[in-house]
Amino acid sequence: MSEPKTVLMIDDDSDFVTAVQALLESAGYKVRSAANGRDGLQLAKTLQPDLVLLDVMMSERTEGFFVLQEMRRVPALSNTPVIVMSSIYSDEPVFRVDPEAGWLPASLFLAKPVEPAKLLAEVKRLTSPSEAFAAAAERKQP
Amino acid sequence: MPIPPAEYLIFVIDDDEIIRISCEQILRKSGYKVETFENGYVGIERLKQVRPPLLVVDIKMPELDGFEVIKIVRKIDPDVVIVVITGYATIETAVDAMKMGAYDFLPKPFTPSELRLIIERGLERWRLAQEAKLARKEKEEVERKFVTLVSHQLKAPLGAVKQYLDVLLYRCRDQLPEETVQWISRSQARISEMVSLIQDWLVMAKLDRGAVCDRNASTDVGKIVESVIGEYRQLPSAEKLTLSTDIAAGMPPACGDAASLSMLIGNLVSNAVKYNKPGGEVVVRAAAADGWITLEVSDTGLGIPASFRSHLFEEFYRVKTAETQNIPGTGLGLVICKRIADELGGSIEVDSKEGEYSKFTVKLPAAETVQEAE
Repeated sequence: MSEPKTVLMIDDDSDFVTAVQALLESAGYKVRSAANGRDGLQLAKTLQPDLVLLDVMMSERTEGFFVLQEMRRVPALSNTPVIVMSSIYSDEPVFRVDPEAGWLPASLFLAKPVEPAKLLAEVKRLTSPSEAFAAAAERKQP
Repeated sequence: MPIPPAEYLIFVIDDDEIIRISCEQILRKSGYKVETFENGYVGIERLKQVRPPLLVVDIKMPELDGFEVIKIVRKIDPDVVIVVITGYATIETAVDAMKMGAYDFLPKPFTPSELRLIIERGLERWRLAQEAKLARKEKEEVERKFVTLVSHQLKAPLGAVKQYLDVLLYRCRDQLPEETVQWISRSQARISEMVSLIQDWLVMAKLDRGAVCDRNASTDVGKIVESVIGEYRQLPSAEKLTLSTDIAAGMPPACGDAASLSMLIGNLVSNAVKYNKPGGEVVVRAAAADGWITLEVSDTGLGIPASFRSHLFEEFYRVKTAETQNIPGTGLGLVICKRIADELGGSIEVDSKEGEYSKFTVKLPAAETVQEAE
C-alpha cells in the first residue's frame, strides 16, 4: 500500500470539518485543516497536499475564491486539485451552477452538505495519479 | 450636501428673444450657468449632450410647443425639473403642463425675484430627488447583500447538521437499530425540506427586487427543456417514469434569461415528477405561433382536485390529500413559476383531471427574431 494521500480542508465551520474529516480518515486519507484563507494558504504551501477542499464564504464573503486564485500563482500549488464547497450552491437541478461558467480554476464545485459516497468517489478520482496528471495537462492548454 | 448654485446649469427655451435675454441676465447674476435656445428642437438636441437639473420652457411657441417639448424631454431625462412660462395665465394650461410632468409655472410678465424664487425651489426639488435616488440605490445594495448573507447563514448550520447525519449513516448504518436509522433519515429529509424553503425564499426575495427575469434577453427554450429533462432522467426520483420532450423545429427564442427559464421549467418538471405514479409519464412540449412560445408540461399523475386549483399559485399553498401528504415541497414552486411568467410578459395556466393528469401551459412572448449586431 502506498503512502496515504493528504487532504487539506480550508473551512471555518468546525462541525462540517469534523464530519468530513471523520469520513475521509475512515477511508484512509490523512486530513489537515485550517479555519481561514490565510492559514490555509500557508499550510498548503508547507504541506503540499494531494487535494484541497475549499470553503467559499469564510470571514470574507468570497475568501475561498481569493485563496484559489492565490494558490494558482504558487508554482508548487498551481496544479493541486481543488474542490470548492459551499452552501451557497445547491445541487438540485433547478439551481445548479452552470459548469460552463468555468471562470474559476477549480477542479470541481460541490454543494454542502455533500453525500458521503459522492465525496469519497470524487476525492479518490482527483487524488489518483493518472487523473491528477490529466487535470494538470488540461489546465496547461491555452 | 447642497451643491452651490454656480454648479447648476439651467436651460431656457423660448422663441421670444427678450425673455431669453432677461432670464439669462437674471439667472447669471444669481450665479447660475445658463444656456438659451430659440426653439424646442435645438434645446432638445443640446439636452442629449448635457443634463441640466432644470429647464425653463415657454408653452406657446411656433412649430414645437411647450407641451411637446415636455413630452420629449421627459423621455430623454425623467429627472430634469421643468418650469413652464405661460403668456396666458389660465389655470387650464398650467394644470395641463403640470399633468405632463412640469414642476411649476410662471405667468408672464414676471419679476426677477419671482423667477429666482421659482428656480431656487425647483432646484431644491431636484436636489431632494437626487438624494432620494441615491438612498434608494444604497438600500437596494444593502438588501441584495443581506439576502445572500442571510440565506448562507441559515443554510450553513443546517448543512453542518446534515453532514453529521450523512456521515453517521454512511459509517454506522449496519450497527444502528432500524428505528434509529429511520429517525436519522427523517431528520435528513426535514433538513432538506428546510434548505429548499430557504432556497425558494431567496428566489422570491430576488423576484421582489426585480433581480431575476431579464425581459430583454432571449433564450432557446428547447435547449433549456432538454437540459432540465436530461438532469431529471438521472435522478432516482424519476427512475420509474418515462420523461420525453416534443420540441417544434425552428422555434424562435423566447423572451427571458436562461436562469429564469430554467427555474420555471425546472419547477414544473419537478412537480410533474413528484406528483406522478410509478410507471407514469412526463412530457414537455414546446411550440411557437403568432409571436408566442407555448410550453406544456404534462404528467400522468395524481391530478389536482378542482377545489384546490384556484389556490395553486398562492404562497405556501399545498394540495393536501392522502396521496400528497408525504411528498416534500415548499409551497413556493408554482408561485415562483407564475412570478417568472408574469415578469417575462407571459402567463401560466393549469388543466387537470383528478387521478389522471395535470398539465401546466406557459405562454411566453417570442423574442425578436432579428438579431442585433454585437
